[in-house]
Amino acid sequence: MTEVKNLSEGIFEVVKDKKQLATKNLDPGKLVYGEKLIPVEGVEYRTWDPRRSKLGAMVLKKFNIPLKEDSKVLYLGAASGTTVSHVSDIVSEGAVYAVEFAPRSMRDLIGLASRRKNVHPILADAGKPDSYAHIVEPVDLIFQDVAQPNQAQIAARNAASYLKRDGYLLLSIKARSIDTVANPKEVFKEEIKKLEQAFESKFEILNAKDLMPYHEDHMGILAKPI
Amino acid sequence: MKINTWFGVLGIGRTGEVLESELFSKDIRELARRSIALQENMQDIPPAGFDLKAAAIECRFVESSAEYYSLLHEVTLEAAKLQVSGALTPDQRIIQAVEALDDINETTNSLSERLFEWYGGYFPESGLNGEALALFIAKYGSRENIGSEDPLYSKARNSMGAKLEAADEILLKSFSESVCSLYERKRQIEAYIQDSMGSIAPNLNLIAGPMLGARLISIAGSLEKLANFPSSTIQVIGASRALFKHLRARAPSPKHGIIYSHPLINTAPWWVRGKIARALAAKLSLAARIDFYSGEKDASLVEKLETKVQQIRASNPKPPQKKQDSGVKPKKKRRK
Repeated sequence: MTEVKNLSEGIFEVVKDKKQLATKNLDPGKLVYGEKLIPVEGVEYRTWDPRRSKLGAMVLKKFNIPLKEDSKVLYLGAASGTTVSHVSDIVSEGAVYAVEFAPRSMRDLIGLASRRKNVHPILADAGKPDSYAHIVEPVDLIFQDVAQPNQAQIAARNAASYLKRDGYLLLSIKARSIDTVANPKEVFKEEIKKLEQAFESKFEILNAKDLMPYHEDHMGILAKPI
Repeated sequence: MKINTWFGVLGIGRTGEVLESELFSKDIRELARRSIALQENMQDIPPAGFDLKAAAIECRFVESSAEYYSLLHEVTLEAAKLQVSGALTPDQRIIQAVEALDDINETTNSLSERLFEWYGGYFPESGLNGEALALFIAKYGSRENIGSEDPLYSKARNSMGAKLEAADEILLKSFSESVCSLYERKRQIEAYIQDSMGSIAPNLNLIAGPMLGARLISIAGSLEKLANFPSSTIQVIGASRALFKHLRARAPSPKHGIIYSHPLINTAPWWVRGKIARALAAKLSLAARIDFYSGEKDASLVEKLETKVQQIRASNPKPPQKKQDSGVKPKKKRRK
């Protein structure tokens, strides 16, 4: 017997043999990255691997995921679209602006976006938010997974241009891409301080936790603009 | 205030209301092209927090929010496709070729070894390996077929190898043919890299040679990235393990990465290799920059490098003396 528990809007825990994180598949019958499809009472669920997705890991780390069916999301660092596909499942009536800089990853992302009407791919540098100002509307959530040394600054700049006043910023900090040598804990502390004070747009940190055991030397941060 | 959006040029008032609008036609390809152009010039961008969708509906570009998103989806998708297809620059082709070459080398080596072991049971005295062995088997198959004009004729006659059955012979022959064709592909790719390096990165080609130059581009990711690297990074490209060991612990810093394969370094005596590596890396970085930004060939780079290397060699003719051990072990520095 398969059991489904609702964890957060659009995010489920499907229990079939074992507990699995899942979203409702917006593109029925199709797989994105070799995940499993589990049909329960006429609804098709797509399992979500927290080891391959920082957002997935954040869900399991009990982060409050501020997404609704009609949310608008600016997704920085979309890569091949593994996590984007789940965000697209969650915001089935909303929009995902998926920014990615690498043409190689964009190739895969285009494949995904052509099957999902709510994903708008943008090949651009997230460090230059002005370059997509003619496309992106104000959003409810900025999710950032860019692994750049100045990622806090990138997040702040994008938030200043695109985040609604009551919106949220959700980011994954990769310690190793900020400083390969320093102690990750120090790096995290430093980055949180930066978000709170360093830039013109300041943030209140609502939650900050490392993403162990799913991702090593990563920290998830949920913040909102002050 | 005039602003550019993906669907048209708008004049807006202080509170963001649309005063006038010059809307584009709903041709997806045209809109996508405009969007890419806007992405590059970043002029008259909408103010922070400006609601593009509301404006598009207000100025009657679209009827509904659903129409807005479906059009936006097609335009962004088309723009991304156009950008991706434009992103395949000539240096990307070289990178694919270099990586294919590495794959082929690895495969041919292991297949050749297999062939050596396999055929060794039938003709251990041949003394052949690699491509020569593959060619030999492809030509003759069993050692009994060898003609009397071949230098290996007498060895084949008196071989202690087992008799090669017909079924095995067919198998071995076609296996060898595959190996031979891999060697052939390898030469073809090398020739391709040599040709294209001359036109894509002439200066890098001149200083590093085609293979090393292509490898540097491949590891950096593109000629642009290589041109942006400081020369100290170019010096240790390909020695990342040693470099991070050095940064994390007290290991000595690496003197050279893949530029070690350059004849100026690997023929130099050990005590000047680090110095030469530094000089070479400096010139490589200059060469990559000239290649990326101007593309003109500058022969003076090589001359300057050679003078510099001679200077280094002349001023360091002898290996440095080892420091005398004073008997007391130096105090260990504390790890950071």
